[in-house]
Amino acid sequence: MSGVLGVLTAGGDCPGLNAVIRAVVSRATEHHGAEIVGILNGWEGLMDGRTRPLDRDDVRGILQRGGTILGTSRKDPYVHGEGYESVRHTIERNGIESLIVIGGDGTLRTALKLSEDGLPVVGVPKTIDNDIAATDYTFGFDTALSIATDAVDRIATTAESHNRIMLVEVMGRTKGWIATYAAIAGGADALLIPELPYDLDTIAGILKKRHRQGRTYSVVVVAEGVAPPPGREVKNRLDAFGFERLGGVAYQIAPELEQRTGFETRVTVLGHLQRGGTPTAFDRVLGTRFGAAAADIALAGGDRVMVAVQGDQMVTVPLEEACRTVRGVDETLYELAATFFN
Amino acid sequence: MRIGILTGGGDVPGLNPCIKAVVNRVADQGHEVIGIRRGWAGILQHNPEDPESASRHFLDLSPEVVRTIDRTGGTMLHTSRTNPQRVQTESVPEFLRGAMVGDGPHDYTDHALRVLEDQRLDVLIPIGGDDTLSYGQRLHEEGFPVIAIPKTMDNDVHGTEYCIGFSTAVTRGVQFITNLRTATGSHERIAVVELFGRNSGETSLVTAYLSGVDRALISEVPFDIDKLSAFLVEDRAKNPSKYAILTISEGAQLIGGEIVETGEADAFGHRKLGGIGHITADLIKERTGISMIEQRLGYLMRSGSPDSLDLMVAINYAVMAADLAMEGATGRMVALRGGTYTSVPISVTAEGEKRVDVDELYDRSEYRPKVRHVSGKPMFLY
Repeated sequence: MSGVLGVLTAGGDCPGLNAVIRAVVSRATEHHGAEIVGILNGWEGLMDGRTRPLDRDDVRGILQRGGTILGTSRKDPYVHGEGYESVRHTIERNGIESLIVIGGDGTLRTALKLSEDGLPVVGVPKTIDNDIAATDYTFGFDTALSIATDAVDRIATTAESHNRIMLVEVMGRTKGWIATYAAIAGGADALLIPELPYDLDTIAGILKKRHRQGRTYSVVVVAEGVAPPPGREVKNRLDAFGFERLGGVAYQIAPELEQRTGFETRVTVLGHLQRGGTPTAFDRVLGTRFGAAAADIALAGGDRVMVAVQGDQMVTVPLEEACRTVRGVDETLYELAATFFN
Repeated sequence: MRIGILTGGGDVPGLNPCIKAVVNRVADQGHEVIGIRRGWAGILQHNPEDPESASRHFLDLSPEVVRTIDRTGGTMLHTSRTNPQRVQTESVPEFLRGAMVGDGPHDYTDHALRVLEDQRLDVLIPIGGDDTLSYGQRLHEEGFPVIAIPKTMDNDVHGTEYCIGFSTAVTRGVQFITNLRTATGSHERIAVVELFGRNSGETSLVTAYLSGVDRALISEVPFDIDKLSAFLVEDRAKNPSKYAILTISEGAQLIGGEIVETGEADAFGHRKLGGIGHITADLIKERTGISMIEQRLGYLMRSGSPDSLDLMVAINYAVMAADLAMEGATGRMVALRGGTYTSVPISVTAEGEKRVDVDELYDRSEYRPKVRHVSGKPMFLY
């Protein structure tokens, strides 16, 4: 195929998106002589026809920039429209023969439906949460992790100065990848992740023991998706994909720990700071590899697949497989972090 | 000479370099520096009848001990908000409870003076904000030699143009806001960024001024939520990337509203602020239907290592304070005035409040920084 390739980014912002777009465009146009149509604002642009042609010059200088030059949205043609029918006019008018979809698991499920309805798609996994099945890493994770680790490092100095417990809440909707890696990298004193139930008395015991031994401060890393303590709740709203928009559970946990330990406890929620800014070198390289591979595969006629990294190899996996399960933190990794909870 | 040094109030970047510079300045003159742990709490909690316990509250600071402390943020002495002239009953140490009268708060200044004598201290260098330094002023009035070093990320100690910690807080604030732009723009939202700053809107104002956000709410000027919402809708529409950013000082108030305080008051009578960003974001969303990004920067603004300006001021203040101590010129606070390093009587801190000159730096009707004149202003504009 040497025809027209569409590319879109959907869902949350993620460092490295521009690296992927740049690689898709450059690889497809320079290497394969194909045409690229950029879809603006995610699925919304595919529904309302907002597109722009992209060539090599359009993607110069964007590698190191955060955000996405294409924009994104949380609209979904199967939720907010008539499914394939609501995007057909944009596909046909632009002669799009295949679509590269850069998104998280919600976006990839939508891509799968479009493929089943007849539009060839190649998915690129995008989430800072690193929880997409069938790929070892997603781009954006390393940048978010660096920001979280940096915050843990800094917060630890404040915790020590004030002899406090500091909770650092990081992203991780259903899985605690950022939390676990940041806890290991930042040397946290306790870690709460959605994969494992936690017991506040046990955690309070660890922190009190540290205190008795003269280490009168602690940093606890909390993934946003952990369950609130019994009897407390976090007000959540559902987004367009039906995902809960989380954040703030640490504010529910803090008073419980304060009460159990008697130590002053404070909260920092990193929130969107983890998505922002310049991608790390690792994410730029990973994004570039993903983008180039996606262009190669789409132009070779690939459909209903997602590019992935397994070991050190770029591979393709069936989109169904990637969408079927979310990948959680291995228990051995949690145990590694827990080695240092003392 | 035995010089005591302590850090009080919230930690800011630059405290450890400041402590180190005091120690190194006086060490080769044969003077000793004794670190007091946990701010004024180290003094309150020390029982002279129990000399064994001294190591919990005092620490000999030699150049060897402080050699590497400037490589980390925070304060190696630790800090507290304890104020010995206003001690709540539950915070009174066990050994002082016998002589306790009334329900409190209690004044343990006599005890503090006894401890300073017990430790054979000749002069005390407290590093702190207006609360910490107000007790330094009290000890000075009681006849104990004190030299104060001002630090607060709000830059609001009266009598000096600069307090250690301000520059780094602004640097971080600007950097975090820049990082939030792509997330906010990708979703075409309005971001509400809540910044530390209890009474003074300086941190919020200067951060907003330097980062070029659309609107900034400061503690000094209550705001009209309808007007604010309309501004932000307009700002967002004008922005080619279709987003807008608002900074809000944690002490900001709605017109007719109250400062949003949560939690118990600390020993200085401060409550934990916070929450106004969340409330404001909800109200804007209600009025505009636009999705919001809420981000509280909080501790991230003042934790970690100092930038070069805070390092510069921390070290220079330390050198000046050490020199004053050795000269016996006490009852002073080191300061920057007219862009020049100097010292002022410590009593100056209590003679007024340092607040943003709203009419010179802020547009009350547009809710954004507006600097009328730069020429003639100090480096940080107020």
